[in-house]
Amino acid sequence: MSQDASAHLPGAAPGVGVRSWAGIAPSVVLVMWQREMRRYWRDRSQIFGGFSRTVLWLVILGFGLGASLREIEGYSYAQYILPGVIVLNVLFASLQCAIALVWDREVGLLREVVVSPAPMLSVTLGKLLGGATISLVQGSIPLLFAPFIGARLSVGGLLGAWLVIFFLGIFMTALGVIIASRLKTFEGFGSISNGVIQPLYFLSGAIFPLRGVIGGVGFLDIPDHLREELRRIGVFAIGGGWVVQLPEWIQALVYVNPVSYQLDLLRYFLLRFQQLPLVADLLVTFALPPVAAVVAAWFMGRMLKQR
Amino acid sequence: MTQGAPAIVATDLSRRFGEAEAVAGVSFEVRRGEFFALLGPNGAGKSTTIHMLTTILAPTGGTAEVMGFDVVRQAYDVRRQLGMVFQDPALDERLTARENLEIHAVLYGVPRRSRRAAIEGALEWASLREVGDRRVRSFSGGMKRRLELARALMHGPRVLFLDEPTIGLDPQGRRHLWERIDALRAGGMTVLMTTHNLPEADACDRVGIIDAGRMVAIGTPAELKREHGGKPDADLEDVFIALTGRQLRDELATARDLMVSFAKQGGEHTR
Repeated sequence: MSQDASAHLPGAAPGVGVRSWAGIAPSVVLVMWQREMRRYWRDRSQIFGGFSRTVLWLVILGFGLGASLREIEGYSYAQYILPGVIVLNVLFASLQCAIALVWDREVGLLREVVVSPAPMLSVTLGKLLGGATISLVQGSIPLLFAPFIGARLSVGGLLGAWLVIFFLGIFMTALGVIIASRLKTFEGFGSISNGVIQPLYFLSGAIFPLRGVIGGVGFLDIPDHLREELRRIGVFAIGGGWVVQLPEWIQALVYVNPVSYQLDLLRYFLLRFQQLPLVADLLVTFALPPVAAVVAAWFMGRMLKQR
Repeated sequence: MTQGAPAIVATDLSRRFGEAEAVAGVSFEVRRGEFFALLGPNGAGKSTTIHMLTTILAPTGGTAEVMGFDVVRQAYDVRRQLGMVFQDPALDERLTARENLEIHAVLYGVPRRSRRAAIEGALEWASLREVGDRRVRSFSGGMKRRLELARALMHGPRVLFLDEPTIGLDPQGRRHLWERIDALRAGGMTVLMTTHNLPEADACDRVGIIDAGRMVAIGTPAELKREHGGKPDADLEDVFIALTGRQLRDELATARDLMVSFAKQGGEHTR
């Protein structure tokens, strides 16, 4: 070709195209991941939110409600909700990262990405890994408070917890991408916070155990042998209170909420306390995110074609 | 693909959205090295046409080729050949100018060893060297537009698509950008731009006037004035009004417009 366009711009280098294998181009995944991380580190409000949520839930609610609830299965209330507060931070981090797509699609960089030869699967993958990494950082904030509430963490437990947090981050970012692909317009995060994050959080057993109801001071302590007997039939004694099942409709909602299982496994790694079938925990935590990622990539492709 | 083959060929290109036909059978050619303007009122189908030519929107009828590659079947090859500047900035405002350019270099597969030079060259060309490490959020409209134009050229495209490139710029910014586009043109770059700015269209090699999804006239500015102007000293505005009528083209705000106006109030950062 006689006309070499690179002559127009000093230093311009002809793109050699993007090398990819089955839609996965490592350089594209990396640069899109890096973009998410840069955006995160510069957004002080998100880091501040991670700390303020931790203080509000873990310290204020933990000690406030902990004053009337003496213990849940031998753990203080603050210790009991520690995994829940981690999950809450992960929900905010991953969904904020994903919902930014609506923005990105209409007035941001995404249009530039769409018109480029880079494979969309790699772009989606970069987004999901970015969301998961941000989740890991935000989810680790409550762990800093662990010594303060008397939770002793083992190295193995911590590594296990990080693994669960990372997979939860992938799952929730993928879910967020699917939601974002259906949103026509976006003028604030409030609807996501109230409509998605809070239901998932409250119905996951994060702040109350799945079986049992809250008793507290004024009740006689349950004798140890009765506590053992109750535990065998799957009922967990709380503090000095009488043990009652949650209403069935709440139970049903908790059981269909995938976050319940992920949280249960996280609580197992952090506190060695676990209430749901372990197989279900492992399946939901590790098998569901890859499936969600594939679905998210499909929705992303569809969203961009419809424009 | 021969040297003389046209850079862009659209044949009966159409796009419907449900019942509405945004582009209804548009045919035209853009020659290599030509500077071509798609001119038309709001909602005429200019952006839809550009989106089909740049492969980001699938046509519902007809075909189009860019540098000999089919926009549907050979989308990947088309994408490698083109540079695109969107109507509204498509930048990550939380990243610096350099970081935005770096992403572009990776997306287009600019080899690692030439990335640095490509980025610096683009900043230099856009007169943004001193502010390369500033976040794009702090840039004026003109600076963003220059950055986007430089970015679109980084990977050595053969065809440049500009969707309303000077919209929203002040006269200085407009002049500056125009000089840069002129330099590209002198260098032999093929450019297709949409506009509703008549003096800009007048400066192009050829103009296609599009209205209600149809190409109503096509030719050099001089030809159009002669054939459709209706008087000896007709300008392009006379041609435009003669062909597209006097009726106002009001449109209700779309979901996208709402987002854009939200963005202008501070948008994401008000959260």
